[in-house]
Amino acid sequence: MIPYDGLLFFYIMALFLVPAVVLGLTNRSLKRYGLLFTVVMAFVVFNTWEKRAVLLAFYLWETALVLAYLRIRKKNESRPLLWLFVLLAAVPLIITKLGGIIPTFNFLHLLGVSYMTFRAVQVLIETYDGLITEVKLFDFSYFLLFFPSIGSGPIDRYRRFNDDLKETPGRDKYIELLKTGIWKLMWGALFNFVLSSLIYSAWLAPLPDSGFLPTVSYMYGYTFFLFFNFAGYSLMAIGTSYILGVNTPENFNMPFLSRDMKDFWSRWHISLSTWMRDYVYTRYVAAALKGEWYKERRTASYIGYVITMITMGLWHGLSLRYIVYGIYHGILMCINDVLDTRWKRFRKLKRENLPSVLLVFITFHLFSFGLLIFSGRLF
Amino acid sequence: MEEKIMAILNDICGADEGELEPDFDLFEEGILDSFGVISLFVEIEKQLGVKFEPTEVTRDEIKSPALIIEQVLRRA
Repeated sequence: MIPYDGLLFFYIMALFLVPAVVLGLTNRSLKRYGLLFTVVMAFVVFNTWEKRAVLLAFYLWETALVLAYLRIRKKNESRPLLWLFVLLAAVPLIITKLGGIIPTFNFLHLLGVSYMTFRAVQVLIETYDGLITEVKLFDFSYFLLFFPSIGSGPIDRYRRFNDDLKETPGRDKYIELLKTGIWKLMWGALFNFVLSSLIYSAWLAPLPDSGFLPTVSYMYGYTFFLFFNFAGYSLMAIGTSYILGVNTPENFNMPFLSRDMKDFWSRWHISLSTWMRDYVYTRYVAAALKGEWYKERRTASYIGYVITMITMGLWHGLSLRYIVYGIYHGILMCINDVLDTRWKRFRKLKRENLPSVLLVFITFHLFSFGLLIFSGRLF
Repeated sequence: MEEKIMAILNDICGADEGELEPDFDLFEEGILDSFGVISLFVEIEKQLGVKFEPTEVTRDEIKSPALIIEQVLRRA
């Protein structure tokens, strides 16, 4: 069974959300039931004993790493040690991705491995930073396995998530959460099951496999398809989280109105791009600036963009198209930055009516072309 | 201390002295971006010895010169 797919899934989920609603409306904490909900839903979705065993092994591995690092960090501030732990935490993800191209590694199948790995790695890095100094087994388990966003995000942050757990929303606030949650679930379902399905069946599926014009048409169709599909999933995940009293962050903010690529990445798959910004780009650039690796300071940023975007591409999968997708976006970010810093009028143009419409048009085509690479239709 | 912080900020934003209003929204105005924030943290650490971890503060907490000064002074 796949999360947010099929009537049976929604029926089972609705059934197990009822106790959460009762707890919320009667001013009680949702935390304990939330973890129970996560475990039950995971049990339902991971529907063979083999899948459950893999999930359990993954959970034990990540938890052991985080708890061990938390102890070690108190005495040892070594950065390479952090990277070792990050690498170990990413081993299941790496094996999964390698499995996509090398048959020998094709043995680990775990739904949500990408998103859960992000959660664990984030805790490791912030433990190194000294921002996380205590991790309770219950809180971490709930965060790592949190069911609503297990399969496709959004990617939450441990400290933010934990703040929600500490707080009991209370009846009035919970009613608001419940209303917004249900509303988001409905919108998500509309996006995903109606709009994205319609675009797929009426637009993408009938297109011939090759030819210039069909490919251009595919580019537009795929962009809208992916948006409604993915934004739909995100909305359903956020909606479900709200019903459990967790304010999972938003993932999309009208990306079609982006005026440049930097703007685009603050509107599209926001939780991934901010994760990449905070834990890849920032780390690299800070190290480069502190170590004065480059004569020109901005060079650090340009190389940082390319590294970050390639990492993001690779996270999607180890295929040529994802690597090219990463490089493409890395280069676009660099060009964007050059325009921002060297061409003073660019900032003004983004605010003027007519030029901004033109910029929205150009940006739309830039990221649509990126998604065409991403889709795998080209190569 | 405040003057030093402003000098660092002006330098990073390419602004003249007195150009940045205390309540100016630096992100909204497109003056500060991700690179600007990291440069700011690195320079503050180098020159003033005050350390910020990358995810220690949110953008909302450092969006204006006044807020940046407040955050640095709190840690100094």
